Amino acid sequence: MRIERMGREPEFSQYMDLKEGWLDRRIFSDAEIYEEELYRIFARSWLFVAHESQLPKAGDFLTTHMGEDGVIVARQPDGSIKVFLNSCPHRGNKVCFADAGNTRRFVCNYHGWAFDTGGELKGMHEEYCYDEIDIDRKKNGLKQVARVAGYKGLVFATFAEDGPSLDAWLGDFRWYLDMLLDNEDGGTELIGGCIKSVINANWKFGVENFIGDAYHAGWTHDSGCRSMNNGEPFPPVDMENSYHASVNGHGWEFGTEGVGDLFLLGRPKVMEYYERIRPKMAQRLGEMRSQIFGSVASASIFPNVSFLPGISTFRQWQPKGPMEFELKTWVIVNKSMPDDIKDEITKGVMQTFGPGGTFEMDDGENWSNCTTVNRGVVTRHERLHYRCGISRQIEHDTLPGIVYRGQYNDANQRGFYQRWLDMMEADKLDAMPERPEPRLTGVSETRDVPGLFAL
Amino acid sequence: MTKNATFERPQTGQSASLELTHALTQTVYREARMLDDENYVGWVKMLADDLLYHMPGIETRYRRDKTDQVNDLTRMAYYNDNLEEIKKRLSRLETGTAWSEDPATRYTHIITNVEVEMTEKEGEYQVFSNFYAYRNRNEREEDSLIGNRVDIWREAGAAFQLVKRRIILKHNVLLSKNLNIFL
Repeated sequence: MRIERMGREPEFSQYMDLKEGWLDRRIFSDAEIYEEELYRIFARSWLFVAHESQLPKAGDFLTTHMGEDGVIVARQPDGSIKVFLNSCPHRGNKVCFADAGNTRRFVCNYHGWAFDTGGELKGMHEEYCYDEIDIDRKKNGLKQVARVAGYKGLVFATFAEDGPSLDAWLGDFRWYLDMLLDNEDGGTELIGGCIKSVINANWKFGVENFIGDAYHAGWTHDSGCRSMNNGEPFPPVDMENSYHASVNGHGWEFGTEGVGDLFLLGRPKVMEYYERIRPKMAQRLGEMRSQIFGSVASASIFPNVSFLPGISTFRQWQPKGPMEFELKTWVIVNKSMPDDIKDEITKGVMQTFGPGGTFEMDDGENWSNCTTVNRGVVTRHERLHYRCGISRQIEHDTLPGIVYRGQYNDANQRGFYQRWLDMMEADKLDAMPERPEPRLTGVSETRDVPGLFAL
Repeated sequence: MTKNATFERPQTGQSASLELTHALTQTVYREARMLDDENYVGWVKMLADDLLYHMPGIETRYRRDKTDQVNDLTRMAYYNDNLEEIKKRLSRLETGTAWSEDPATRYTHIITNVEVEMTEKEGEYQVFSNFYAYRNRNEREEDSLIGNRVDIWREAGAAFQLVKRRIILKHNVLLSKNLNIFL
């Protein structure tokens, strides 16, 4: 479908200078900028909509949002997954009110229009009132999104007909994603249920925190770390052997010490488990990735998914207006893990990164105050500082992406806002620059790439 | 009674005596006062060593859906803690660096609809209650958490200890940025 936006097109480049390292505060509260984000970013990006494990059987469905547009994600009898608007073509009412379940039909409460799990119109209440000329059932199904695609268990959808494939969208970031999604045979699954909470903050604060803000952890989360680990503070950061890597607005910040995030989870059994499988992981993903996994790390997929590899929280920041988002959180585990390890991880995540978690509690408070304070009519014209590590870019012969040395860095955040700017300004997605030039173009399976590239 | 209601509130047993009902009602009021006052040392003393403190995350599902979102302890939950895990959470407040707890949140727990019943185990009682927990912090931030609880309390000397609590919050989306509260 074509997503067109009428009206004036502001110059978004006025809101940042990423070479200098500053952002204008208005992007965190301005209602017009937010509306443009919904059109230019959320209606055109590949958005995470489900994990395959949430929909094991035909007829399984869940409801979610792409931007602020409600959609249904449903498993089809042929095993494929369809994504369509949760809105009846007759008057627009919701046709599904549940978060998840299994069904044969979605039926509108208003006039009884009934759709199958593929979204096709199958019948209406008192159907005789429609003459043949009145309605073409084929054209009055639930509106399908333009494209649906998957990457190793994650299901993405986009409203954009044109633009990059999902593989091209993720690009070289797939090399990093494999550490989360493909570190053991059998892939991953989400633990049952989803915890949702409302935070009065701009959605970008959540994403940028996970994409690169290792810096806040040792300060904001000192209390969380100590509570989970018998009073022990955060392990010191090795600025020489830790990195930021940014690929088209996605980002992963990480150490290479292998144990930091596992330590923060506060679950010795889980740590032992990963130590047991690490040699296999090294065979599977190469030495470098097996050392990155489990280190102090955090990551985001542009525009609004984040996770902590090793801690295993997986989350999505759903925009609900310029100054509010809904945080959806899940626990991601390897399918092949024994049940007791899955339970340990689930409990560990709930105690650290649930709404009552010892880490999470301090985050929402910060983001919500950043958002409301930035809105002041004088305050909003003051620039925000995003310059940390601005001269530390390196060429690395193993790591793909735009790589900066030192985990304490604003580099991935700058990469995220660069992609934000690229999308806000691009009329055509195909015209957007690749940042950086991909190294893995044409590589269909990044698991087998140990990470030695010709520069 | 719907299927979900059965999950949330197990079959009821014989009512306890007036005296026991009074004693346990006072116990849950005292517990609420400790939580209001952030007297967590006193609160932990009211918890049994074999505590299960469970507050499941509950998705909105159709009535025909048979998924047990309440009793299945492997699903996502706000709390699914034993005593050691509760103590770990509380130890965050002892670090002196729990920035978002200073200035303090102002809490009020209102506990109502208390019913006390006998269980099959001698000295253990089932206590139903409803809660209204109010939080206010900084200038004008406030929220309300409302729901029911089903507890098992055990006689321990002259007092009672909480062995098991299931909390059913009535939110689908938690309408708060965090849950720095016990219910």
